[in-house]
Amino acid sequence: MTAGTADFAVSCDESQTGARTLQQAQKLDQFLASVERRALRIAEIAIRDRDEALDLVQNAMIKLVRNYRSRDTDEWAPLFYRILQNGVRDWHRRQAVRRRVMAWMPRAKSDDSDYDAIAAAPDLAGRAPDEELQNSEAMRDMETAVHNLPTRQREAFMLRTFEGLDVAGTAVAMGCSEGSVKTHYSRAIHSLREKLGEHYQ
Amino acid sequence: MNDRHDNPDDRIATIAKQSFDESVDSLDAATLSRLNRSRQAALAEMRKPSWSWQQWMPASGLAAAVLLAVFAFRGPAEIDFVGEPATDLEILLSEESIEMFEDLEFYSWLATQELEGNGDLG
Repeated sequence: MTAGTADFAVSCDESQTGARTLQQAQKLDQFLASVERRALRIAEIAIRDRDEALDLVQNAMIKLVRNYRSRDTDEWAPLFYRILQNGVRDWHRRQAVRRRVMAWMPRAKSDDSDYDAIAAAPDLAGRAPDEELQNSEAMRDMETAVHNLPTRQREAFMLRTFEGLDVAGTAVAMGCSEGSVKTHYSRAIHSLREKLGEHYQ
Repeated sequence: MNDRHDNPDDRIATIAKQSFDESVDSLDAATLSRLNRSRQAALAEMRKPSWSWQQWMPASGLAAAVLLAVFAFRGPAEIDFVGEPATDLEILLSEESIEMFEDLEFYSWLATQELEGNGDLG
């Protein structure tokens, strides 16, 4: 092989690697764009804080790209949600510790603590106030009920129902067996039916 | 998923999903913008070099320096440590009494006195 041919081969390899990287970046962009909003709402229902939920979603995105981008694209969704669920669990642990510490400290009450900027924002979808109220009430009831489920039931329900992962994908995301997913999901449905029965029958 | 939602027992899941999807669709512009920025920040990770030996150079250098320092300080002490048991062993195996070794300083002084005495005699 001559020097010119070798240079050309190296150049081809580099351009092929560059093309592959670009293609992978596009796929990752599409994947993240397809899950980010649902992921945010899932995290928000779990922790009931939008800012914190946004941080958790960003961390999950970064970890997925950093550590698992070379994995098969079919694996991205379960892996992404596994990272996100771990983040949610860590957040709850930190909150529990913070609550224990704060229990010993005096609490200052803020004047605008009851103001909810999200609730006060106008509806972008242009729905009538009655319809909006009914939907928001139903959604709030449902969110509260899902939030109050035991952790594993909540994870199984949200991943299966909201994200649409199959049993195998949910098992990967939750780090448990498929049988456990079915059990948690079934119990979650049973519990939600009991709590929300009058709204959802 | 559809077969599951067609099941009357799981009607609650279907309705909950509809309600959830509505909430996803009605996310405000500021939130969507922040999600977009988060995605771009994540994708920027791809431009960072993956693991390479250069990343570990500072840590490796520091570790090597610490090891050298530890050996430099502890080296002579270890040599003494090796020598001491040998001396103890000699004492234990010798036929002399332990008391004699305890009074080595005295015998050393005595030998010096005897030598000086011999010198005088000579």
